[in-house]
Amino acid sequence: MNKKMHWGLWWAQIRSVIRLEMRKTFFAKRGLWVYLLALMPVVLFFADSANVLRDRDRRAELETTHPAKAEALRSIETGMTKDQVVAKVGEPYGQTTFTFTRRNESHSRTVYRYTDGANDYVFTFRDDELAQIRTNELRTIANDSLIFATVFQFFFLRLAIFFGCVGIFTNLFRGELLDKSLHFYLLAPIRREVLLVGKYLAGLIATTVIFTTSTALQILAMGWHLTGPSMTEFLRGPGWGQIGAYLGVTALACLGYGSVFLAAGLLFRNPIIPAAVVLLWESANPFLPAALKKISVIFYLQSMCPVVAKPADMPALAALLLSSAEATPAVWAIGGLIVVTLAVLALAARQARALEINYSAD
Amino acid sequence: MIASPETTNQGAAAPPPIERSLVVFDNVSRFYGEVLGVNRVTLAIPPGITSLVGPNGSGKTTLMNLMTGLVRPTRGDIKVRGVATDDPERLFRIVGYSTQFDSFPKGLTGFDFVYSFLRLFGDSHADCEARAWKAIERVNLAEPAKRRVAGYSKGMRQRIKLAQAIAHDPQVLVLDEPLNGLDPLVRAETIALFREFAAAGKHVIMSTHILHEVDMISDQVILLANGYVVAEGEISGVRSEISEQPIQVQVRCDRPSAMAARVFATDHVVEVKLHTDGGGLLIKTRDADKFYRLLNHIALEGISIESVTPADDNANSIYEYLIGGEEATR
Amino acid sequence: MAVYKRTYKQYEGELTPGWSRFLILPRFSYARLFQSKFLLMFLAICCIYPIGAAAFIYIAHNLSFLQALNVPAGNFLQVNEKFFVYYCNFQATMAFLLTAIVGPSLVSPDVTNNAMPLYLSRPFTRTEYVLGRMTVLMYLIAWISWIPGLILFGIQGNMAGWDWTKDHLWIAWGVFAGMFAWSVILALIALAISAWVRWKIAAGGAILAVFFVGAGFGAVINNVMRTKNGSLIDLTQMMATAWGQLLRYDSGNSISALQAWASLAIASAICLWLLSKKVRAFEVVK
Repeated sequence: MNKKMHWGLWWAQIRSVIRLEMRKTFFAKRGLWVYLLALMPVVLFFADSANVLRDRDRRAELETTHPAKAEALRSIETGMTKDQVVAKVGEPYGQTTFTFTRRNESHSRTVYRYTDGANDYVFTFRDDELAQIRTNELRTIANDSLIFATVFQFFFLRLAIFFGCVGIFTNLFRGELLDKSLHFYLLAPIRREVLLVGKYLAGLIATTVIFTTSTALQILAMGWHLTGPSMTEFLRGPGWGQIGAYLGVTALACLGYGSVFLAAGLLFRNPIIPAAVVLLWESANPFLPAALKKISVIFYLQSMCPVVAKPADMPALAALLLSSAEATPAVWAIGGLIVVTLAVLALAARQARALEINYSAD
Repeated sequence: MIASPETTNQGAAAPPPIERSLVVFDNVSRFYGEVLGVNRVTLAIPPGITSLVGPNGSGKTTLMNLMTGLVRPTRGDIKVRGVATDDPERLFRIVGYSTQFDSFPKGLTGFDFVYSFLRLFGDSHADCEARAWKAIERVNLAEPAKRRVAGYSKGMRQRIKLAQAIAHDPQVLVLDEPLNGLDPLVRAETIALFREFAAAGKHVIMSTHILHEVDMISDQVILLANGYVVAEGEISGVRSEISEQPIQVQVRCDRPSAMAARVFATDHVVEVKLHTDGGGLLIKTRDADKFYRLLNHIALEGISIESVTPADDNANSIYEYLIGGEEATR
Repeated sequence: MAVYKRTYKQYEGELTPGWSRFLILPRFSYARLFQSKFLLMFLAICCIYPIGAAAFIYIAHNLSFLQALNVPAGNFLQVNEKFFVYYCNFQATMAFLLTAIVGPSLVSPDVTNNAMPLYLSRPFTRTEYVLGRMTVLMYLIAWISWIPGLILFGIQGNMAGWDWTKDHLWIAWGVFAGMFAWSVILALIALAISAWVRWKIAAGGAILAVFFVGAGFGAVINNVMRTKNGSLIDLTQMMATAWGQLLRYDSGNSISALQAWASLAIASAICLWLLSKKVRAFEVVK
């Protein structure tokens, strides 16, 4: 009877703490940068989709005005001269030339642009010799999935959610201490552990809402340029599974990182130092032995991502960070993450019990 | 209303009846590293208005933080009406604390501030709303209650902190310089509020620098200096125990010079000053009882005595004697 | 009524030169900063690479030393522009970490504690204030970047001879100009963040975020939009491109040096604009 009453009281108190914190987290001006961080990839994907749509129309138009066969374009090799290229595939639809002087010698760089209606070809000549061939293929769902996976794992998980959680969760205790307003909570008839849970859940709700909304909008933005049949085929296939997986990984990232940074805010006077250490630890994850790899949030998160990223045009180190995730069954990954989260929260609860108010020292 | 742990706690042994009405410090010390906060403090504070008096850094705020659990004692034990200070679930149902910190959670209005922290008690919305408004009206802040606290004046911020401290009708009200920044009218209203609490058998423990207000409103006083309790009790009782300081008495009479000559003949009078208006004397004597017996003789000898008033039976004087001397010897 | 003798007199002695008044700010800042053992340790660690580099230069000119140890020298011991590029890259990273440590405490305490009017109500301009605060950081960065860099050049020049020195003076200029520009960028970013973010802790995190998130998002833009222009928001890459131009070394970036310098100049301008919004003699309270 007593325990039932306590649970009821504690749950009511947790709800009150969440209500108080929501106002400060969701609607505070100082939290705007978290929204910005979450919106950046959304804006990028929308811009990209608009670009793809415009490009598609452009290529279709150019196919009629400057027709060029795909086989002929694919047969062009480096080392050929401009005349040889024109002889094979005709005049380009676009051409740019500029000259420059290096070490008292004059040089030129010429760029020829072709399209076969689907793909774009860019031939770069240095002094009349073909030096570089770049191909921009028409975007397919397969391409898009890889691009999304790269952005999600490299930027969104490791940087956007990471720094967003640093900002929101360290603010819960350390920020209150700096604002000299934490004592109001400690002067209420609420157990320190209950207060900790309330604040953690408040931070979790805020970050999960912000970042899962961002993930959903990113997927929407990414798929905006797809045609109806392509989209239907994708959703009938792996589509919903992948969308669910990404949303789930986002929420789990907030869960894991949130506990780490809440604890950092309690344990350290300057939680940015442990945050920097965590950032370096997570970056070094690919190089760690198997046992140590499991003591990180990113290890579990990356293993649950539905698509393995294969980044093109990324620095080598970044590519290494993305390609090293070992496949781990989802149950183990989620379980492992929850165990890490609970362990960290237990440590934070111990520190919360011993918390004293001494603002001048802080 | 959801039952609180206090009402359902059947496990712990109940403290003896006398302790349930006292705030007890038992040989309490608190050090901040090598810096002394308070040392070997033993107090039993009864209900009523108790003032903590002392210079800056004497340990007043430390004492208040100790009795509200915001800091833990290095040594010793503290019980507030029988409740340990490391049991926040029970403690803060009976304690309200208005701290010295002039900072508030960001973005809240006055009402939100009082209401939101009342909700932490686990009570219903309707109950909390009613109690919040009652507390806000009690401190005369009903009109600006819907404005943000960040836009309040110093006096308004002080009052909203007080409203938050009294909203749950605590048994023990701890106040760190509560009259700071209040204009005279509001100050009088606030003092009336404290008297109301004290009259209901509750504790009002406050720190203050305004010694004449200590005289006016306090039932007892605790003097602190350098982390030690220098004196505690009713002001007159404390004064009578300071035997090394001669008491000062003001006497109005018709023949002050004759009276001066008469009292100088004794061995316990150490100083006599004639009033500038020529109508009285300020006499310092080491023995109050002998002096008052002497007055009876003087009156029988034909000198007309109009009034006899203790001149140093106040907080200012005992502060000077007990703490002013210590400050001078540092 | 009491009458008091008027003993106060205005100071009539010599005034310090007006141009040097901004140096008052660094003087007091260093007194505070050098109380930190962590900072002193970090500055000591920053000296390790330059000392190692000096040893490398010595060994490169004393191959008989290696031969005596039976170590094949080969061609790898060359002190050229690549050597100085590696030096700049490493010390620039240390300078970035130093900025994250020192930067947050430069302006935010003055903004938080309403000290700005105290400074600016004296004959002390906003420009002098910003210059003074920038000097705190730039001076420290100089001691771990271009000063040891020029010393290394001097050592190399001394060992390689006057002809080598004459032909490679551009390396000295490259090291100085490159690291000086980096210190200016770091100082402006640190000041701007410190002015806008009230808590020192959050300011430190924001300094880390500006560089990491900028680099990450730049790479992501390149990957998504199939362009190279995303790198324009990656300040570290822009600086590397600028060093490549100054030290005549191919940095491998596809952004031109002109674009890189323009990007750095725009970033500096944004920082100065942000500072102008916060470094004011008054505060608007809403």
